[in-house]
Order: sequence, then structure tokens, then C-alpha cells
Amino acid sequence: MNKCIDTEIQEMLPDLLHGSLDGHERQRVAAHLATCESCREDLDVIRTVKGAAVFAPAIDVDRVVRQIPPYRMIVPGVEQPTRTRIVSWLVAAAVILAVVGGGSVLISKQLKTTPAAIATAGPESVKVPIATTTRNDSQATATNVGSLAPTHPRALALSSDIDNLSDGNLRQLMNDMNQFDVLPAAEPEPVIAVDSGDSL
Amino acid sequence: MTPSPQSRPEETDMELINRWKAGDSRAATRLVGRHSQALARFAASAGEREGIEELVQDTFVRAFASLDSFRGESSLRTWLFTIERRLMLDRRRAERRSRETVPVQESDHVSEYGALDGLIAEEAQERVRKSLDALSPTQREVFTLRVQQGLSYKEIAEVVGSTEGAARVHYHNAIRTVKEFLRDE
Repeated sequence: MNKCIDTEIQEMLPDLLHGSLDGHERQRVAAHLATCESCREDLDVIRTVKGAAVFAPAIDVDRVVRQIPPYRMIVPGVEQPTRTRIVSWLVAAAVILAVVGGGSVLISKQLKTTPAAIATAGPESVKVPIATTTRNDSQATATNVGSLAPTHPRALALSSDIDNLSDGNLRQLMNDMNQFDVLPAAEPEPVIAVDSGDSL
Repeated sequence: MTPSPQSRPEETDMELINRWKAGDSRAATRLVGRHSQALARFAASAGEREGIEELVQDTFVRAFASLDSFRGESSLRTWLFTIERRLMLDRRRAERRSRETVPVQESDHVSEYGALDGLIAEEAQERVRKSLDALSPTQREVFTLRVQQGLSYKEIAEVVGSTEGAARVHYHNAIRTVKEFLRDE
């Protein structure tokens, strides 16, 4: 028996048994089989093997289905676990605290250090006892002046209350101003530093 | 007038999958009923002798657990064969390891042949089983998927993790071996 060399037909033989060939292909294979003993033998082998497949055990479908969990149980992750949610809330709260706290510290620091802010804040907000910190011998006058005079020269010039000072108080103020540094420091010195410099 | 169940067209696998996802457990029954015997036949043809029902069950449990990853690019049956084949390979590896550690007892052979006796009743089928045993594992898989399940070479390549060309070569070598075996018997 000659071996067939038409591999295309050979490969279509299982499809012939499964009925998956279209009309034209089926006719072509049938015509070939009529003249090719090798392919007829192949077809017999395929038919035998296909028929032997019935010996697989029967499967109990209901038993298999009972083992399949419902869809929702299989696919978690729609909702986050409770623990993860709590951690998320804690992180969010920490971030908010950091932003609010840090921001308020920065704002208060800026208010303390900005000259314009001090100048526009009004005399009530700058009641710093300058005289108290610079001279001990004129306590009463200094207290009076300190209650009116701002701590910064520019603020002093802009203050409208300076017009209300008497000549003596003005003279005293001018004397106090002579004690100031000629060049202002880059950072305004804290009150306590001035206090410790002259009063002790 | 609503069509009777008999006149309703057969639902596709994808339609049944969507119904099952929507909570219809009957869709799972339809899917399992549609494909379970093919999976059992494939397992038996691939050389599995025991625990075929458990194997089929595990295949469906795994498949349903990962149905979201099934895109429908291949047929559901091809995808199920792929899962079942991986389970068979895992099972064989585990058996090989246990054989390496546990000595085989005489009673094991007796029970194996006892199960085979029940499984294969006729002489012709015994011959087919022997002829398939003469094939390499990959040849046997390719041949049974092609002959018994009617899968295309492209689908077979997907199941066995190979190429279409390699699947064709395995098929031709397999049919030549089986033919010679059956002729010589």
C-alpha cells in the first residue's frame, strides 16, 4: 500500500467524522477516499479511537455544581476590608492635622516677623514695654511711652498716636531711640534679648 | 406568545456565563452538563485511570473561580481542556514525587488493573488504549484532542502550549504509530 502524500486531506479526516467540514470540503475528501487506500485505513483508525472514547466514567453534574461557590464569594475586592478602611481614615486624619497645624504655625510665625503686619496691626497689638527694657530710672514715664510707642521705627513713624505725645514724652522717646542700633538686624530681635541687654 | 423552552435557541457559553454571574445557578448546571463528559473523555484518553470525576470537578471549580479572566478568545471547552491538562500535569508530578518516596506495593498494581477492567470492557477498546499508551504524552494529548474532541490544530496548540505546526507534526506521528500498533496486534 502506497503512503498518501496529501497531508491536507489527511488532516481533514477527523473533521469529516465530526461533521465540521463544509459541503465542498466534504466532497473533496470523499473523492480522495474513493481512490486512496491509505487514507481509508487512517479513517478506520480515527473512527476506532473516537468510538473508544465512550469509556470515560459518567460525571455527576449536580455533584460538580454543588462544589462551585457563588460568583460573589469567589470575587472579593468590591469592598475594601474593614481594617484597610480604618488605616486609610487614620492616614487621612494625620495628613489633615499636619497641614492645619503646620499652616497655623507658619502663619503665626509670619505675622510675628512681617513689619508691615506689625505696622498695620495698630498700637494695641504692640504694647511692648520698650522703656522698661531699655531704662530702669524712668519707670513711670517709660511705661507710659511703652504703652504708646511701637517697637519698630517705621511703625513709629506711621503711628498716628505720636501726635498726642507731649514735648517731654517726645524728648524722652527721642533719647530712647538714640539707644537703638543704627542698622536694624536682618531679623528683629526678640523683646527678651533687648531686655537682658540693658536692664541687667 | 413566549417561545417554549424546546423552541428556544441553544444559549452560547458566554450567555450562560453571564447568567451565572448574574446569580442564576442553573446556568452553571447547563455549562457543566455541556462540557463535563468531554473533559472526562479527554482525561481518560490522556491516560488518567482513577479520580477522573474529581479531576473534572476540580477543573470546573478552578474555571468558575477565574471566569473573569476568560475573554472568550478561544472556546470555553478549549479553555477548560487547558485547565484540566494543567491539573493532570500537577497530579502526575505529585504522583511521581510520592513514588520516589513511597515504595510501590503489590496491592497498588492489583487495584489499578481492577479499575482498568471495569473501565475497558471490550477487546477493541483495550487495543485502542494500548495503542494510545504507545504514544508520547504530548502525542497522545494532541491525537485525542484532534480525533475524539474534534479540536482544530490552533485550539490544540493553545491547550498543550505549543504551535499549530508542532501540533500537526504530533498528529501525523501519532496516527502513524497507532495505525502500526493496531495493524500488528
